[in-house]
Parts: sequence; C-alpha cells; structure tokens
Amino acid sequence: MSLRKSQKEATRQRVLDAARELFEAKGFEAATVRDIARMAGVSVGSVFTTFSSKGDILSQVMADRLDALYAELDRLAPHLRGSTPDRLRSIFAIHYAFETRRTRLFLAHIAAAYNWTLGPTSRPYGRNPRLRAVVRDCLIEGIARGDVDPAADLDVVVDALMASYAWTYRLAAWENADAEAMSAVMDRHIGLIAGGFRPPAAADR
Amino acid sequence: MKHVSSNIEVAGEAEVRVPTRRALAKQQTRAKVLAAARHLFSEAGYEGATIRDIAAEAGMSTGAVFANFTDKSDLFREIMAADMDALVEAMRDGANRGRGVDDVLLKVFVAGYAFYKSRLPLARAAFGVSWLPEQGLELRNLPPVQLIQELFTDALVQGVERGELSQEAEVKLRSQMLFDCYLANFQEAIFGGWSLDALQAKSKDQIRVILAGARRG
Repeated sequence: MSLRKSQKEATRQRVLDAARELFEAKGFEAATVRDIARMAGVSVGSVFTTFSSKGDILSQVMADRLDALYAELDRLAPHLRGSTPDRLRSIFAIHYAFETRRTRLFLAHIAAAYNWTLGPTSRPYGRNPRLRAVVRDCLIEGIARGDVDPAADLDVVVDALMASYAWTYRLAAWENADAEAMSAVMDRHIGLIAGGFRPPAAADR
Repeated sequence: MKHVSSNIEVAGEAEVRVPTRRALAKQQTRAKVLAAARHLFSEAGYEGATIRDIAAEAGMSTGAVFANFTDKSDLFREIMAADMDALVEAMRDGANRGRGVDDVLLKVFVAGYAFYKSRLPLARAAFGVSWLPEQGLELRNLPPVQLIQELFTDALVQGVERGELSQEAEVKLRSQMLFDCYLANFQEAIFGGWSLDALQAKSKDQIRVILAGARRG
C-alpha cells in the first residue's frame, strides 16, 4: 500500500472509531460531523473526502460491527448442540448479547433506515441477509437431523423468526430490556414457531 | 394521551353548539399545521422535518405552531391517532367478513396494508419513530394500537371457542407474534414496493405457520 493510501485508511479508521463512540454516547442525531472530526483528530473536510454524509459513516460503522458479529457467530456455530429450536435460540441469544453492548448505536441505525437519513439501498437491520442465511442453514440442518418437516416452507419460517427477532428488540428501546430479557421472550416465540415446522411424526410421538 | 381525549371533546362539542369564531379559527390553524406536518413527515421522515419547516409550509410562525401543539412528537402522535381510528374501523370490517380464524386474521392484515398503501411514506416515518425510546412507546400505547392487538386476540379466542384451535393455544403470545408479522411485512411494502396481492400471499403463509402449533393437540 502506498503511503498516501495507508494514511487515508488510517484516517478512515479513526473517523469510524470516533463515530462509533459518539453515536453510542450522544446518539446519532446529536453527534455532529464536527464532533466526530474533532474526536478523530482530523479536519471536517477530510471526513467528507472519505464519507459522503453522516448517514454514510453510520452505515459503515454498522457494517464493521456486523462483520465482527458474524465472525463471532461463525466461530460459535459448530459448537451449537441440541434440537433445532434450541440452536435457533442460541443464534438469536448471541445476537441480542452482541447488540446490547451498543444498544443506542443499533437503535440509531434502525431509526435512520426509516428516516431517509441513509441511502436508498440501506435496510433496517431486521432484513439482515446474513442472519437470514444462518437461520435458514440451521433449519436445513434440522431437516437432515429429522426435527424439521421437509415440507415446511423455510422462507415463511425464516420470515416469522425474523419478525419476532426484530420486534422483540424493541423492548431494548422501550423498556431498556437487557439481552437476557429479550432472549427469554424470543425463546417463547421460537417455541411457538417450532410448532409450525415440526415434522408430523414428531408431533404424534 | 391528553391530546386524544381533548380532540374528541372538541369534535363532540362542535355537533351540539355552534363554535365561536375564535374556536373556528383555532381549529383551522390546527388543521393547517396538521396538513403541513403530514406532508413533511411523509417527505423527510420524523427527524428530517423540523417545526420551523412545518410552520413555513403552513404559512405561520413557529410560535403559532407551538400555541397549538406542545412539540413535534405531539404533532406526530395526533396525525397517527387520527389515521388509526379509521384504520381500526377498516380492520374490524375485515374481521367481520372473515370465515374461520385464518381468514379473519388475513382480512385484518390486508385491511391494514390497503389502508396504508396510499400513505406508505407516513408509515415509514412511523416505523422510524417507533424505535425511539419515548415516542416509540407512546405510539405503541395509543388506544387504537391496543384495539388492533385486541382484534388479533379476539380472532384467536373465537378460533378456540369454535374448536379450530386447541385450548392451549397460548393466545396472548400468538396474538403478539401475529402483530409482529403484520408490522414486519410493511418493510416489503416500504422498501420492496410489494403489491397488495404479494403481501396477502405472504401473510397467509405466515398466519398458517403461526397457527400450526395451535391446531394440534
């Protein structure tokens, strides 16, 4: 990497680090680009040579956070044990535990996606395609293990799980619920949804 | 919830006696502010629309806006509450036309999507607000929202009474999940531009999955 390129990369990383701290501490709306530049020790101008807007910075902060989350999930996935509902419970519990480390940041990102702050391609994180893929894989493995009905419509099941997951997260916004409280609610939702994908034979037993 | 009840009183009084000129002028001012706010919330979202913009669009001072509404969240809540009264009516109609628990629920879902089809940007702004700690909870606690939840619950209770669902249907939890799914599908409408037919097909499948466990036993 050329010197200029590595300097640019260093600036970018400093801006992202500062933004992550400030969005979490002050909230997305209250944290200005000037605050971010000051904390990162760079000029406002150089922030804008790297990012097009504050929303763009937020998107990048979230993308990096999610990379870390999925690295964690990839590491833990092979160690998941038990029935498919239990494995699903673990997957969502890992998400809640991770997200509640920076609740305000996650909430800011969701609100921004609905508030025209982010670019048109941004989606609220409930649409997260990587989580969908992980959940789907878990269900497919369940078919092989025999506790998921091969005739179940997996897309519908994934949708129902994602809806419960995203809306349970609202408890963090409204009631300051911690990861454990949200996981407890989600566990019950998963139990009910499991009634929709259990193979008929298992239900008769 | 103060503004909701005071609103209802004003409407009730207007029917029994002729309002004074001053009261009429005040009503007109409120209506103008609400129309301007609705337009701006739909264009710029909740955070993006400022009281100053709203005042300018309504052709009045910010002072005049504040004389009628305590703050931006008050304005937004009033707009949502006004819409939702009509929404609940539409959903109740849907429920009454339904045959069997699946169909009742589906018709409630679809009545909601049809209602918001022409005002998706406002729905989008509302979803943004719903994630804010204070305003989100206020929105959730609006009486019409509680009524919508009751529609889902009633449909399930009737399903149990008719024997379509088992006695152990966990009505409360299932009702909550149905509401979650109903709301989550708005994402497809808002960001994916889905048609009513597509939303209906998806809702039908979701309802089937959520009820599946309650049919056995």
